[in-house]
Amino acid sequence: MKVSAVRQALLLIALALVPAIGEAIYFRNKVSWQSPIPASELVTAEQAQSWGDNVIWVDARPSEEFDRDHIPGAISLNEDRWNELLPQFLGQWSPERTVVVYCSAQSCNASREVAKRLRDEAQLKNVFVLDGGWEGWLKLNR
Amino acid sequence: MVKSFPWRIVALIIGGIFIYAGVLKAMDPVGFANDIDNYKILPWTIGVRLAFYLPWLEILCGLAVILGLLYRGGLLILTALVSIFIAASVISKVRGLDITCGCFGHASKYLSFFGHLLLDLAIFAGLIGLSISNRAQQSQL
Repeated sequence: MKVSAVRQALLLIALALVPAIGEAIYFRNKVSWQSPIPASELVTAEQAQSWGDNVIWVDARPSEEFDRDHIPGAISLNEDRWNELLPQFLGQWSPERTVVVYCSAQSCNASREVAKRLRDEAQLKNVFVLDGGWEGWLKLNR
Repeated sequence: MVKSFPWRIVALIIGGIFIYAGVLKAMDPVGFANDIDNYKILPWTIGVRLAFYLPWLEILCGLAVILGLLYRGGLLILTALVSIFIAASVISKVRGLDITCGCFGHASKYLSFFGHLLLDLAIFAGLIGLSISNRAQQSQL
């Protein structure tokens, strides 16, 4: 008996659920299911500002945007010029300081990527992403 | 399943591409979830769940096309998937988003937008060819 293409497709769609659910169960504690950045890695502008001079602000936006305006004292470190800018950042970093990375807004990915590289490649602890990004900081401070 | 030798080779190549792409993404579902999120089309809560599901759908459909089991269903799904990939890529380009496709996991991050588009269009053409060839074969029976 010939089974229509649509029925075959539905069967494949159903079959694919099995390994997918299995993998999701395996990864259930390693994935942030509600937001791209786990809550433990996010920090609000108010929180970060309360840490005072212990914070190193890292601006992950393109250099032209950094040059136009940035959080006072922030260091530019973006993926396009990573190798060039990283030494300057490391010159200002020390283990007691907390790194807060931001990009333009909540929806941009640059801050997440830079924070990940700082953790994975530079092996830094205490690296956070600014909730709301540059726009969020502006709302609070200007 | 198509019986003509050239189309069997096309089916093998296309099925193999989807199995390869699916395996790469299944090995790094979080990376794939980030790639889906980069398109800014779906909310994260949906994108992350799709990131766990789509690779397995690609793998099963690739196998279906190669082995000839649930063949037409596999072709239908893969054609729909490639159409969606192409549409999403074009929409993102028009919106000025500079993103990697994620189609082949992070292995494809060095392919340009047009490189990806050409590859996707070639795969799409192959899938349409397989569908037409299969229909022609069915009508001769």
